[in-house]
Amino acid sequence: MRVTQGTFSFLPDLTDEQIATQVAYCLRQSWAVNIEYTDKPHPRNTYWEMWGQPMFDLRDPAGVMLELAACRKAHGDGYVRLSAFDASHGWESLRLSFIVNRPAEEPGFAVERNEVDGRRIDYTLHRRA
Amino acid sequence: MNHQPQRSAADRYKAGVMQYKDMGYFDLDYQPKDTDILCCFRITPQDGVDPEEAAAAVAGESSTATWTVVWTDRLTACEKYRARCYRIDPVPGNPAQVFAYIAYDLDLFEPGSIVNLSASIIGNVFGFKPLKALRLEDMRLPVAYVKTFDGPATGIVVERERLDKFGRPLLGATVKPKLGLSGRNYGRVVYEALKGGLDFTKDDENINSQPFMHWRDRFLYCMEAVKRAEAATGEVKGTYLNVSAGDMEQMYERAEFAKSLGSVIVMIDLVIGYTAIQSMSKWARRNDIVLHLHRAGHSTYTRQKSHGVSFRVIAKWMRLAGVDHIHAGTVVGKLEGDPHTTKGYYDICREGHNPLALENGLFFEQRWASMRKVMPVASGGIHAGQMHQLLTLLGEDCVLQFGGGTIGHPDGIAAGAAANRVALEAMIFARNEGRDIMTEGPDILERAARYCRPLAQALLVWKDVTFDYTSTDTPDFVPTATVS
Amino acid sequence: MSETVDLQKAYAQSRVGEVLDQLETELIGLKPVKARVAELAALLLVDRVRRDLGLVSALPTLHMVFTGNPGTGKTTVAMRMAEILRRLGCIRSNHLIAVTRDDLVGQYIGHTAPKTKEILKKAMGGVLFIDEAYYLHRPENERDYGQEAIEILLQVMENKRDDLVVILAGYAGRMETFFASNPGFRSRIAHHIEFPDYAIDELMAIASVLLAAQDYRFSDAAESAFRRYVEARMRQPYFANARSVRNALDRARLRHAVRLFAERGRTLTMDDLVTIGPEEILASRVFAAVAAA
Repeated sequence: MRVTQGTFSFLPDLTDEQIATQVAYCLRQSWAVNIEYTDKPHPRNTYWEMWGQPMFDLRDPAGVMLELAACRKAHGDGYVRLSAFDASHGWESLRLSFIVNRPAEEPGFAVERNEVDGRRIDYTLHRRA
Repeated sequence: MNHQPQRSAADRYKAGVMQYKDMGYFDLDYQPKDTDILCCFRITPQDGVDPEEAAAAVAGESSTATWTVVWTDRLTACEKYRARCYRIDPVPGNPAQVFAYIAYDLDLFEPGSIVNLSASIIGNVFGFKPLKALRLEDMRLPVAYVKTFDGPATGIVVERERLDKFGRPLLGATVKPKLGLSGRNYGRVVYEALKGGLDFTKDDENINSQPFMHWRDRFLYCMEAVKRAEAATGEVKGTYLNVSAGDMEQMYERAEFAKSLGSVIVMIDLVIGYTAIQSMSKWARRNDIVLHLHRAGHSTYTRQKSHGVSFRVIAKWMRLAGVDHIHAGTVVGKLEGDPHTTKGYYDICREGHNPLALENGLFFEQRWASMRKVMPVASGGIHAGQMHQLLTLLGEDCVLQFGGGTIGHPDGIAAGAAANRVALEAMIFARNEGRDIMTEGPDILERAARYCRPLAQALLVWKDVTFDYTSTDTPDFVPTATVS
Repeated sequence: MSETVDLQKAYAQSRVGEVLDQLETELIGLKPVKARVAELAALLLVDRVRRDLGLVSALPTLHMVFTGNPGTGKTTVAMRMAEILRRLGCIRSNHLIAVTRDDLVGQYIGHTAPKTKEILKKAMGGVLFIDEAYYLHRPENERDYGQEAIEILLQVMENKRDDLVVILAGYAGRMETFFASNPGFRSRIAHHIEFPDYAIDELMAIASVLLAAQDYRFSDAAESAFRRYVEARMRQPYFANARSVRNALDRARLRHAVRLFAERGRTLTMDDLVTIGPEEILASRVFAAVAAA
């Protein structure tokens, strides 16, 4: 299974060079770049763990790639994603977010069904082991 | 504030029929207030009718006048309630028409009511005999009026946060065939498309509750499909469950059921009416559900340049009324849409401030006072081979719907979905890198097709499909140094 | 090897000449510095051309040290150098982050490494300019965390040569001592530029440029008074060249304003408003010190 969250999950896994071009794009827009990691990729899990704070005021991707390499060293067995924050009025949210590292095995999710009133079902997603 | 030399009150209100121009509805010295609602009408007077008189008549008949002088006017502060034509411009290249700019005092309108706005402005005047044709081109809504509406229930930013999807257009598909599928089979299409890579699927505008499929069955099977697709992909998925119905009570019942099943989004058709739309927006806001609007029926009155209401006005009304998605045209697809006018529609949906832009059909500057943004939806005859054009023309914050382009894929629906998703991600990636996607688009798609077989097939099947017809609704102004 | 190289073309394409011209016009004097910068530019250009032909594959070391007294133009030249390096393709961007020891070193355990790393991340892709770099090393204070910053810097200067150029700056003597205690730096620094003090004529020229920029001028008497002032000041300690001149002019302007205000009874002309008189200069303590000596 392959968790296809993030903007580029349908492309082949990105090389560091490709990641750097996307980071350069974010820096050109003056967005702050953030690195997060998790081993819990549930679609409603909004808060992955932050690897350091969002990086503001950078002019070049090299700084981000440095941090990414360090994060991979520490948490390379899980998911790592890069996201970019736009603080301008009318947005004040993320503008880009993509996965840059995944575990070797992705067990994925299963649907749990609870039959309630009539034919209605309450669904829960839980991780497969 | 000054006016043309007024007659004395005794003169003005003497019984009889008067020229509208002399009744105070035409005043080229009038300076519109910041709180006035302004309209731009395209007027085609009947032969022999003076255009200024026609403009004054439009102003009059859309505010306080009637065809004869009435004494009861004098019981009111009628000066205030009279609409005024304050400007008349010729239409470039068309001597039979004029653009008339008319100002309406804020007090004419009920706060927070599109019904009242439309009844006031277009409720009466369009059948007026002295006019051969009349079109409401654009409206300027003052911030004072904008603030009386809640606006979109969700808005682009919050929708993206709820779906956790950033940096690319969203992908959807209308379930096809248009009619006839049973609930169970309908759900199959939804499952395949969402699992394959789309973010949304969509009920068609006339899928409500018919003999071949009752609405509850559709909702139950669709949500089963959505949840299965979420598990298969790890992404948040949705399908626009159409809750349009014959009366409001049924609509609420359907919407509540959709919510209880855990849907992130519901859908309504324009034909439910402005009152119902505003009620549904309130409901959506209360229940944290995205509200998709299909603009069913609009082209009966938006399409012809000479008569009707321009879609840009409808788009403004719908942003105020509070929808989160609105179909706004594709330019390159099967339905009407010139690139410049379509840009005007998209800007109305998405921007915080629309500057004057006659070349895009925006006749007024419009400020939205931080009202949330509507996601425009591009739907109708588009396919993966056009991805570079779609991204360039329409931008990143929209929903691209590939109905036939997904379901008609030779290798099946999931393959069709994957083809669209790969094409989109590859194009976004290339754009961010700084490549010129309009020129290099076909090359980028071809490269992506090398590792994505479904895309390779899609490009083969549809590569020669284009819809080139002359648009019926093009802008009157082209960008030149002299256009103000 | 039959390939030919058009060095003139490569030079013109790089547009480095524009930056050298800019340096010429905006900085007065500094002949040896400008010559040195031009030399370096030539070296880097030929180096680049050779690398393009496949002659050299190793990354050049670009780190530099600028030595000289304060106010001799080191920061300005560093900024122009960043632009030259960018135009020659040696670094990706022309941004320059200027720091001193306090920006790099923390106040408690564990504070230094993240602080230094933050600065490095901001500077990456461009140039890091460390003024008075020798203050990083305070051996007399055992609770000093400067050593950690030094370690990190040395590592980055070695391993991230294609991502960052480091320029250290400060007094020549102290820099020499610093390198003696931290030999790692010497082997990582490729280029050294010395910034001599300005000559008296150059300082006078700087003064008139600074005055003209603010629509002032010296009277003849004031000008000769100022010359004597600068000569005297140069012999005193802590002379900071152009910066000292600027400070002196600011004080002169203040005295000028005070004098005019005292004379506000009479009508003032444009000339009055624009001209600095000798009394503004002669009031300086520098002359009192000279007289006392």
